[in-house]
Amino acid sequence: MKKKVLAVLLGGCMVAGLLAGCGGGKEASSDNSSSDDSSSGGGDYTFEVVVKSFQSTYWQAAIQGIDAAKDELGVKVNTTGPNAESDIADQVNMLNNAISQKPDGIALAANDQNAVLDSLQDALDAGIPVVCFDTGVPDAPEGSVIATIATDNEAAGAVAAENMYPVIKDAIANADGQVRIGEVNQDATSANISGRGMGFINKMKELIEADGKTVAVIGNQFYVDQVENNGDEGSADVIIEVAVPAQTTVELSATEASNIMNKDDTIAIFGSNQVTAEGVLTANQNLNVLAATPDEGIVGVGFDAGATLKAAVADGTLIGAVTQAPVDQGNLAIHALYDYCEGKEVSDIATDSYWYDASNMEEDDIAPNLYD
Amino acid sequence: MANKSVSKTAGTKKSFVDRMGGQQFIVLIIVIVMFIFFSAMSPGFRKYTTVVSILDYSYYIALMAIGVTFPLLTGGVDLSIGTGLICYSLIGGLLVRQHGMPVAVGMIVTILIGVIFGIINGCLVALMDLPPFLATLCTCMITRGFGAFVVGGYGIPWPAAGQDGGWFRSIFKIQVGGQNIPIGFLWILLLVAIMSFVLNHTKMGRYTRAIGSNKEATRLSGVNVKFYHIMAYVICGLFAGLAAIAYSAIFATVQPGSGAGFEMDAIGGAIVGGVSMSGAVGNVTGTLIGVFVICLLKTGLPFIGLTANWQQIITGFVLIVAVLIDIFKRKKESGK
Repeated sequence: MKKKVLAVLLGGCMVAGLLAGCGGGKEASSDNSSSDDSSSGGGDYTFEVVVKSFQSTYWQAAIQGIDAAKDELGVKVNTTGPNAESDIADQVNMLNNAISQKPDGIALAANDQNAVLDSLQDALDAGIPVVCFDTGVPDAPEGSVIATIATDNEAAGAVAAENMYPVIKDAIANADGQVRIGEVNQDATSANISGRGMGFINKMKELIEADGKTVAVIGNQFYVDQVENNGDEGSADVIIEVAVPAQTTVELSATEASNIMNKDDTIAIFGSNQVTAEGVLTANQNLNVLAATPDEGIVGVGFDAGATLKAAVADGTLIGAVTQAPVDQGNLAIHALYDYCEGKEVSDIATDSYWYDASNMEEDDIAPNLYD
Repeated sequence: MANKSVSKTAGTKKSFVDRMGGQQFIVLIIVIVMFIFFSAMSPGFRKYTTVVSILDYSYYIALMAIGVTFPLLTGGVDLSIGTGLICYSLIGGLLVRQHGMPVAVGMIVTILIGVIFGIINGCLVALMDLPPFLATLCTCMITRGFGAFVVGGYGIPWPAAGQDGGWFRSIFKIQVGGQNIPIGFLWILLLVAIMSFVLNHTKMGRYTRAIGSNKEATRLSGVNVKFYHIMAYVICGLFAGLAAIAYSAIFATVQPGSGAGFEMDAIGGAIVGGVSMSGAVGNVTGTLIGVFVICLLKTGLPFIGLTANWQQIITGFVLIVAVLIDIFKRKKESGK
């Protein structure tokens, strides 16, 4: 008898745990996905959306865009996503569940471009159109993905370099010895982050070399290996040092940032997403070296938004940051699915990324993408 | 060796105590050697600001580790402290940010929720006989989902230094003449002293060890085993709540969905410091020293230019060695 009770309790606890652990995101999203029947003409379509995670406010901004599109078009949208971007298997499960609901379309922001390939084939077999947003799936089965709506990450990284370079240009030109530019990337696996990281490195290298200086890229092997015509670390005028934390925590990002910011020859640093940019700021709490110009300290540039980052840009701790257009992306993804269902032609869209600093944060085309 | 640093512990055999003093001493030497090694290898590491950073990032791990020492001593474990920390901090921070409550109220709520989850863990383990590993794995998942659910997925920034309510950040770090003084370390030392006293000189501590040593014998000798067993988890929950405050005070934004894996730093620290996974053996001072082994590895390895993969490989090996020392000594002891 006692054993039976225990078994029931155990089972109950595991189910409860599973529901809470895996379903937390779903529950969190259910507010946003109320199946209201405010259909205003057009087809009464139901779309499933699978986002990367509910971990960052970035995705909340995307969901804002999705909700806006839902109201505009009068469609039903159900949004799910795993707790963290590293929960790849969870996301594939959610995608499979979405497919089994037989919706009129699916919008997907894939955490792993290879893990979703089988599911995309299933969607194709079931005749469900898929729009990829935020992240493309380059190897998707022919015909399964009808459109990809994503930031051009290489270009976004380049935007950071283009805006950082004018500030540090003189310091590079007048330097006695080597100078160092740091870059902290959250990982070396996702296409977004590595695209952004390489975009920054390549653009910065190009700008510096155009002014007649030499560049060597050192640090994380994944990034260094992708650099063409890499210079020699010993003789280069400018070192670009790339760091990747062992886990994607603010603390480890901060440690990697501290390491670079502690070096005497460092003139600038770039954190290529919200977590790593906050890592740079956390490191600065103790180092107190970030400044508006290389003469006064180290020039910091961030990526994405969030209350902490916005405050740092507003008070000048960071000279600026690059934001993507998550609201647009979510919105456009639903519009693309709708248009496809209505029989219209849809095509890939590369959404813009914007440079923002203390002077333009409040402007109309910037402010909506600066989520808290 | 280092017998003099050992406090007398009623209820456990002298030989245990001897050994603990030994391991603690060795680990302390290891901490010092590591610090000297990293300082010699990296000019950036031997700066005062780096020391402050290491301390900053150690507070929440140290607090979790002090707490989890109690369930470990009963022969159990608490895996919910990492995600729990984030959950408690999110809820407390939400009250401050979105409901305009004073920071002090947010802090008290944060700690209270930690205690509540400690009670839940304790009841699951002590009253309902769930294996601690399973019970706290479940609450780990619950806290992870619950935290994200309550805040609706949004990250919560507790008030920054200088903002309204930012005073709480100076609990751990104050500025004197432009220099950061890591006063949080004093609080940690104070708490270690208090919990050492609790562990070594009170009924609570003696019974915690006794449960880990032989639960049935303890029960038969008339001890209210269930109560003290629950209390071990309550203490752990309380310290997870305190760790949540430390985390919120050091880092800018608390992100829902994060926190998984923090508990491994804390449990790893306790084990490196000589707390046995099979219960009864270990103490809070050892735990604190062990935490610094973990923290030094996390900070030092990037500074000497080792990339992410190497950091994980080396940390894994250090943990294996620490556990092997424990097993080896136990075998030697029981063999003779």
